[in-house]
Amino acid sequence: MTEVSTLHSVKIDKKTCIGCVTCMKACPTKAIRVRNRKAQINYERCIDCGECLRVCPYNAVVPITTSPADLGRFKYKIGLPSPVLYSQFGDNIMPHEILTVLKELGFDHVYDEALVCEMTGLAIEEYLDKNKGLRPIISSTCPVVVRLIQRLFPSICKLIVPIEPPREIAAKNLREEISKEKNISKEEIGIIHITPCAAKMVSINHPETMKRSFLDGAIAIREIYNAIMMRLQKASQPLWLHAQSPISGIGIGWAIPGGETRGMKFYNYISVSGVYDTIRILEDVESGKLKAIEYLECFICPDGCVGGPLTVENRFIAKSNILRLIRVFGDKQRVSSSLVKRLYNEKFFSFEHAVAPKPFAPLDKNRAEAIKKLKLREKILKKLPGTNCGVCGAPDCITFAEDIVLGKAILQDCIYVSTKRHNRKERHGEEKN
Amino acid sequence: MLMVLGHHLRTKNEWDRVMRSEILFQQKFKIHGGDFVNAGESSIKIRNILKEIGIDTDIIRRIAIAAYEAEMNVVMFAQHGTMHLLVYSNKILLKVADEGQGIENIELAMQPGFSTATEEMREMGFGAGMGLPNIKKNADVLNITSTVGKGTRLEININLNSKND
Ligand SMILES: Nc1ncnc2c1ncn2[C@@H]1O[C@H](COP(=O)(O)OP(=O)(O)OP(=O)(O)O)[C@@H](O)[C@H]1O
Ligand code: SF4
Ligand SMILES: [Mg+2]
Repeated sequence: MTEVSTLHSVKIDKKTCIGCVTCMKACPTKAIRVRNRKAQINYERCIDCGECLRVCPYNAVVPITTSPADLGRFKYKIGLPSPVLYSQFGDNIMPHEILTVLKELGFDHVYDEALVCEMTGLAIEEYLDKNKGLRPIISSTCPVVVRLIQRLFPSICKLIVPIEPPREIAAKNLREEISKEKNISKEEIGIIHITPCAAKMVSINHPETMKRSFLDGAIAIREIYNAIMMRLQKASQPLWLHAQSPISGIGIGWAIPGGETRGMKFYNYISVSGVYDTIRILEDVESGKLKAIEYLECFICPDGCVGGPLTVENRFIAKSNILRLIRVFGDKQRVSSSLVKRLYNEKFFSFEHAVAPKPFAPLDKNRAEAIKKLKLREKILKKLPGTNCGVCGAPDCITFAEDIVLGKAILQDCIYVSTKRHNRKERHGEEKN
Repeated sequence: MLMVLGHHLRTKNEWDRVMRSEILFQQKFKIHGGDFVNAGESSIKIRNILKEIGIDTDIIRRIAIAAYEAEMNVVMFAQHGTMHLLVYSNKILLKVADEGQGIENIELAMQPGFSTATEEMREMGFGAGMGLPNIKKNADVLNITSTVGKGTRLEININLNSKND
């Protein structure tokens, strides 16, 4: 694997990319430039939100995930689908059937994450109960939100709930149980997340709160979708219906905003989705404006994980499917509170270490130099038209001005500046004649 | 007016220039009283600047809170005002000045829980009477002067090499 492929979630396919600037405009951290008619990602600034993937009209932004063919290297393979998978196949196909079919695709075992979602919710509630003080506490579920906080809002890292998300907790538990039960070593077990999310591969390869992730890979829902769909259509009768413990309706709700808090006794929470709204709300958190809020759920994707870029079903239908499943399975608590309390006290859910602030680099390491560059950027900005046209290869005029200051672009790259000069020369020439 | 600086006698202008030369960066922001739609924007701009020039994460958090509370007080209790950010090599100074109703009893206003916010403001989530105490908690030095019927001035000093937690 090359360095880029483990560090980040997407790459640009140079052959397909025509340099149309759509992704560059959509990037919330201004990590993309267009040079020589090709988009380039500055991985230093990329937070793996998948916006570029979502907007590219030419499918030139490619997600980096585990290929199903890679599974061979594990002796015992476990499929751990995000509850979002249950929302992808229409409204009369039940989670059990999906799990059955998924298993037939080559897993030795499949596991329903929803139950662990419910447990995690109780663990978070326990944390809120035991830790009064800093507020609002922010969900750790969306790895991109964690990254966004580290980079853009580093001062509020300590508000992230120090509890691992369900996928990690489920994997931790499965690895222990299965290795005991089947008498195989933990290393021989491969736990693969079936995911709507472009960022999971990065969070698995480079976890922010532990040395090594409990997961071994992530397969995109859209990559495995056709295979599941075909088998579902062929199956004459639902199989293997009772092999799993009852599905948790509360847990399934984690696929949409509000899911984490729906089961909680606290009423003072908010849920936000979409990258720009998330940035807005985190700005308010940084101001100290939301102290009265107990818990804040943020999802980078619009409508939460059902809006993940690697899904197939459109997110409105997927959301309605999730809501229906919640109704079908009810909001009866399926896990024992005392078990969760015990595991909580044993720190079973806890981060190994806190999320560290990783602010974006300032304009210069030296403060006086940084201030000089800030002023210079303002000066250059005044020479630019302010139309944010993107022809220069930067997403907007201020970013272009910054690129100039940082020596990454020259003023003549701005078509407005260069033609104005050009026109002036021409006029000058005409006058002489 | 003459001022003594070392062994030299200098005029006030000269003194000002010496003081100003220490300012590495400054910018002024307008705040509109009663404008709850754009309220908070200046404090966001200020901390974005501070992030870009590499100010420490914890200091940014303190400034973020102090600036926001000060800005909101202008929005709630004054007609208009300005927030002036000054960056020195060793400290950050936020000068917030407004033309507004002023504060009658500063000591009382500083008490946690004291508030004259209206019912409407409370409904919007303000009026806990925690703004000024919070500013004080996050500042290294805070000066407040106010004239009833005229306006209020805050000088919020945060040292760049101090920890206050
Ligand atoms: N700039 C100002 N002009 C006039 N009065 C002010 C100003 N700032 C504060 N005050 C007065 O001081 C009181 C206390 O201010 P403080 O910021 O501590 O609380 P608050 O604004 O009422 O509530 P909170 O800040 O918690 O939303 C205010 O209710 C108001 O009467
Ligand atoms: S909202 Fe869900 S799918 Fe989207 S980036 Fe976050 S975790 Fe991934
Ligand atoms: Mg106030």
